[in-house]
Amino acid sequence: MEFIYSTLIMIGLYIILASSFDLILGHGGLISIAHPIFVALGAYASALLSMHFGIPIVLSILLGAVFAAIASIGLALASLRVSGDYLLIASIGFQLGILQVIKNVDFTGGPSGLSDIPSLIEGTARSLSYLIVVVAVALAVVLLIRWIVKGDYGRAITGMRDDEIALTALGRNSMSIKITIFALGCGLAGLAGGLYAHYFLYLTPEQFEIIESAAILTMVVVGGMKSTWGPVIGALLIVALPQSIKFLDLPPSINAPLQGLLYTALVMFFLFARPQGLVGAKAAHSGRTKHTKGNESAGPRRDKNG
Amino acid sequence: MILQIIWTSITSSSYYILFAVSFALVLKVTKIWNFAQPGFMTTAFYMMYWATNNLSLPIPLSLSIALIITILASWAVDKYAFGALRRMKSGGFTFFIFTLIFSEFVAYLFTLLFGTEPFTVFPNIFSPVIPVGGIVVSYWDLRAVTITGILLAGLYAFLRWSKPGRFLIAVSNNDRLAELYGISSRQAYTLSMVLAGILCTFGMYILGTKIAVHTHLSLSLILFAVAATVMGGIGNVFSAAMAAVFLSLLQGFSVLIIPSRWQNLLLYFFFFMVIITMPSGFLSFVRTMKGRRE
Repeated sequence: MEFIYSTLIMIGLYIILASSFDLILGHGGLISIAHPIFVALGAYASALLSMHFGIPIVLSILLGAVFAAIASIGLALASLRVSGDYLLIASIGFQLGILQVIKNVDFTGGPSGLSDIPSLIEGTARSLSYLIVVVAVALAVVLLIRWIVKGDYGRAITGMRDDEIALTALGRNSMSIKITIFALGCGLAGLAGGLYAHYFLYLTPEQFEIIESAAILTMVVVGGMKSTWGPVIGALLIVALPQSIKFLDLPPSINAPLQGLLYTALVMFFLFARPQGLVGAKAAHSGRTKHTKGNESAGPRRDKNG
Repeated sequence: MILQIIWTSITSSSYYILFAVSFALVLKVTKIWNFAQPGFMTTAFYMMYWATNNLSLPIPLSLSIALIITILASWAVDKYAFGALRRMKSGGFTFFIFTLIFSEFVAYLFTLLFGTEPFTVFPNIFSPVIPVGGIVVSYWDLRAVTITGILLAGLYAFLRWSKPGRFLIAVSNNDRLAELYGISSRQAYTLSMVLAGILCTFGMYILGTKIAVHTHLSLSLILFAVAATVMGGIGNVFSAAMAAVFLSLLQGFSVLIIPSRWQNLLLYFFFFMVIITMPSGFLSFVRTMKGRRE
């Protein structure tokens, strides 16, 4: 039962991550894959604040989220200078650079990780209670993002994504929109990080590598970008399906790579079979139309973002 | 000591040069940030390891097997995966996701087959050394520099003087115009991937005869290649090689000032700053500034 609760908690946390990532990537059109580093910043900040400064855990988690949001300004400023592929590559450098700092400073526990993190909830029904908290937060995050993108500000975000020059001509400040999107998306990632830290009680830098970026990215792509429920379904599918083979009771040396194979094969299948995602807006991701079919001579389509 | 650092940095950059050139070539011709390259690198290494250690074949034969399989893999990825994505008019971001996931798929596949334990191509990686003018030079150093030099010279000659090589350059400059002149951009894409496969295989041979390789190592190594490509200036294959040497020297000399554990941070910092401040590449930036002064 503990395994099921942990899996469901992971699904809830990934829903927060995928939805907040979709706000930046799908709605904002800001191609950055550094989301896991903000999870790490939120998780480490929250854990360290509660461990060394005696700050109540709930407040530590919130402060961790604020810390991640502030740190996102570094990447947001980069997005003011470059976009598309360049921003994507810059975000990799940003993520790995901060990860190197986490790995090399002593107070984070270095490469061996940070342990003895206090638990948010104690007692016999710890996992069930935590699951309820995570599901409530995930639902709140999904609805918050839905509320933002469906409103006036959402239209400004869409305008910034589709035609930044036109938006600026209308008197809107695209720079502040970019910084706000990054701060909100990354702050929510930091919140998920704090929740993660105070449930699993152990953090290591390896949990926030590029592979983790690929995982969150694929949840958004498989579920469908720019939709409320796409990242939710993506998170559910990508976390739950590979876990299902755990019931086959295979040795760990086979189980772990087999889970990885299943997950990567699933992503590749969706990329080719349903590139717009399960719930995504049609033609959001590709132009599979009468006009474009069969033309193989061009390289990757260079959209506004490169 | 300084000469020794320079020599060690240059020899250590040999495989990085091959990975960077391979990455830059595919990016130049196909406009794809080919994160599938670690997948080819992993395939090349494990095929070589398997043929040498499980089939007890001599290294030229093992290398040939690895070369054939890696070339086939790169050809297949270009034909069936990139081809399909091009037909679907996918954006650069979809290519990025596919290539990254493909490399992960390959890493998991080889973890399933060979486990997580790191291996070297030969059980013994000891290489005899000779002192040359106060510098310690190993046989591995000489082999690495020779192979890299030959491959780079060969690639240069191929791109400059052979017909398919010139077609490759034409497609990389303007694929639509090249098509009008009867050059198949499709074939040029495939050729660039095949060349990348060859460079990666030799790069993994050099690497695998010095350090132990595990299934996820290539994914970390590719970041150095990306950094060198960015610094060299996107679209400039041989500048990527120069940037790889520069980065290797930078890392080598950094140990005199900062602890070695911070070396990677220096790399990523440089990488991030260059792409933000000089997206056309550090070397292009230097050339532009020089031109302005003149």
